[in-house]
Amino acid sequence: MVNISTLGVIFPNTYDEQLPELTRLRSMASIPFAARYRMIDFTLSAMVNAGISSVTLLAKRNYYSLMDHLGNGREWDLSRKRGGLNIVPPFAQSNNNVYHGRVEALCSILDYLESHKEKYVVLSDCNIAWDLDYADLLAQHVASGADVTMVYERTEIPEPIKTANYTLTMDGEGRVSEIRTDDYRPGMQNLCMNVTVIGREELIAMVKDARTHNMVYFERDILAPSLKALNVRGYEFTGYRSRIYDMRSYFHENMRLLDPKNMDALFPAERQVYTKVRDEAPVRYALGSKVSNCVVADGCVIEGEVENCVLFRGVRISKGARVKNCILMQGTVVHPGVEMEYIVTDKNVQVSENRHLAGNDSFPVYVEKNTVI
Amino acid sequence: MKECIAMLLAGGQGSRLYALTKKLAKPAVPFGGKYRIIDFPLSNCVNSGIDTVGILTQYQPLLLNEYIGNGQPWDLDRVYGGVHVLPPYQTATGSDWYKGTANAIYQNINFIERYDPQYVIILSGDHIYKMDYAKMLAFHKEKEADCTIAVMEVPWEEASRFGIMTADKDGTITKFAEKPKQPESNLASMGIYIFTWEKLRKYLTEDEADKTSSNDFGKNIIPNMLGDHQKMVAYPFEGYWKDVGTIDSLWEANMDLLDPNVPLDVWEKDWKIYSRTAGLPGHWISSEAKIDNAIITEGCQVEGHVVDSVLFAGVKVEKGALVQSSILMPGAKVEEGAQVFYSIIAENVVVKRGAVVGAAPENVEDKSKWGVAVVGEGVTVGAGAKVGPKAMLEKDVQDGENLW
Repeated sequence: MVNISTLGVIFPNTYDEQLPELTRLRSMASIPFAARYRMIDFTLSAMVNAGISSVTLLAKRNYYSLMDHLGNGREWDLSRKRGGLNIVPPFAQSNNNVYHGRVEALCSILDYLESHKEKYVVLSDCNIAWDLDYADLLAQHVASGADVTMVYERTEIPEPIKTANYTLTMDGEGRVSEIRTDDYRPGMQNLCMNVTVIGREELIAMVKDARTHNMVYFERDILAPSLKALNVRGYEFTGYRSRIYDMRSYFHENMRLLDPKNMDALFPAERQVYTKVRDEAPVRYALGSKVSNCVVADGCVIEGEVENCVLFRGVRISKGARVKNCILMQGTVVHPGVEMEYIVTDKNVQVSENRHLAGNDSFPVYVEKNTVI
Repeated sequence: MKECIAMLLAGGQGSRLYALTKKLAKPAVPFGGKYRIIDFPLSNCVNSGIDTVGILTQYQPLLLNEYIGNGQPWDLDRVYGGVHVLPPYQTATGSDWYKGTANAIYQNINFIERYDPQYVIILSGDHIYKMDYAKMLAFHKEKEADCTIAVMEVPWEEASRFGIMTADKDGTITKFAEKPKQPESNLASMGIYIFTWEKLRKYLTEDEADKTSSNDFGKNIIPNMLGDHQKMVAYPFEGYWKDVGTIDSLWEANMDLLDPNVPLDVWEKDWKIYSRTAGLPGHWISSEAKIDNAIITEGCQVEGHVVDSVLFAGVKVEKGALVQSSILMPGAKVEEGAQVFYSIIAENVVVKRGAVVGAAPENVEDKSKWGVAVVGEGVTVGAGAKVGPKAMLEKDVQDGENLW
């Protein structure tokens, strides 16, 4: 916990377009992940765990599932008289259209930003599931005297996001000397993780100024050209993280959680990840079921065979079905005699008796929500 | 005004659960993987449309109070009504512990009258069952009864353990006998009563004035009403119901969840059993693990062999460990190579490497020495130690110690 008063601002829709299948009906923030969570749960819980108790979500499109998931924020302890959760849908203001970049989005909440007293604002996307220590990040921001602190990791840039990233170049003292947009270089880079800390009043001034100059992107149009005047610093994240940028990464990041070391790293015992409670019963493994190397959420009933799978809440595997290397989202029903491998089913998919489905390690097959096969 | 409100008797010490109720009231005892006993009557209330519940507590109320909180997990955080924990309190003329079940209700007449109900349903916090109280209330109204008592048929040989009703053809109760030696009927009271409030208030007040009374529903209120020829009817219930007041019945009721015929279906979507949950990630079953008929919930990590068992949140069963016909309550850990048979392992117990707890009945020659073993909350069973069947452990066991 910190006493550094901070507002959280979350962008739930950034990178939606990289996962067209999963975001057809939802936002990046509400993509189901890790058996019982949504992507937003990780960012929101980490903020709450650091004592940030005012959080605004700037929704852009497809926000029904997100609002349904978050409700009034009670499960994240954000149903508050002071602060709490604030969801801003597009068109919330008469003069504002659906935004493109963060600048436009932030324009729509200028009043909100101005009406608060918190000294800092932390901006975050939802495409990474991680346990970022916001308290430590804020402490470093204050201690370093930076105007802006950007979180990054040392990594090779995955091919699919070479057209959608920012990277940092830093001098010997950790001050950012260059911000590259859509960096395509091979090898280890300082890849941005899209979490930025900045003073609230400074942010308001920047956004107003950027609007008058028709600027769209916060990093590219505001920060990158001003690195001489602004003290922008990097904060390196070295912990466990699941970065979701396409169907393959979605599949593999779920599968990585079958290693309990990764599970423990993403869900450290001392800090909880909160999510919507659905009051599911515990999992029942019937006589004759077989299960090996699986992560299973409550509400499932397993009668068949399951191996190397991540099962979300309320999945049913019937007798004689064999499911291997699959990710089955909430409410998926697998009927008797089915064999399936490398399949990702969205919510409430039904696989009828004796069907055989197979994808491949490098090409997991995705089945849309509510499909009956 | 509310048509019907519920009063839930949750003051029972549960002394026959020994080590399990040393630090918590019986209704707060964990059950069925992610519940506590009280979740069943509370969920029944909200599923039956009863949104006002008074919970009468007395013994070890701390955890129960915290668990109930504002009632939100059961959807009982209401502006008007909702759930209220009602401990005994002090008045200008002194204070009293609840002397008996009837006295507990008597002391809370003011609470009940705030809602001006027509009917009051009296429930108990130590039974596991799913029941639609709305149907029972409709029955009560249809029969124009003053009191309706839910009953179920029990095997004749067990009838003498219950409160037994004799009823005529249309369900009117003619006789009530508490634990009769020679039962006339096998209709047992389930401890669920609906009263027309006006009538109950009268009998509670009269009973309180009677200094010789033990202020108990079964011993006083029901016989008094019957003696006055009030309209009392038996509401027949068919379905699963179990009093989990003893170690054996608590163990059995958990095992019933593993019955392939699913006599108690907690997976039913239309009658959910709600509970306050730990909010842990999904559980993990390793590739070496073997699971034969088990109930496992969030936060568990299983690498050993689990047979016919119920695992609560955050339980760990390490490699080479064997858990058979047992109940492992939240946070329990069974280390490498340890074995647990026919046991109830309470919260945060650690069974260290190679230790053995309990025994299967077929491996005990003298059957009178067999029984479910219980390890109390927070106890550590040392490495290689042996704890026999029917044990009741409240203290740590040293490494290598043999208690069998």
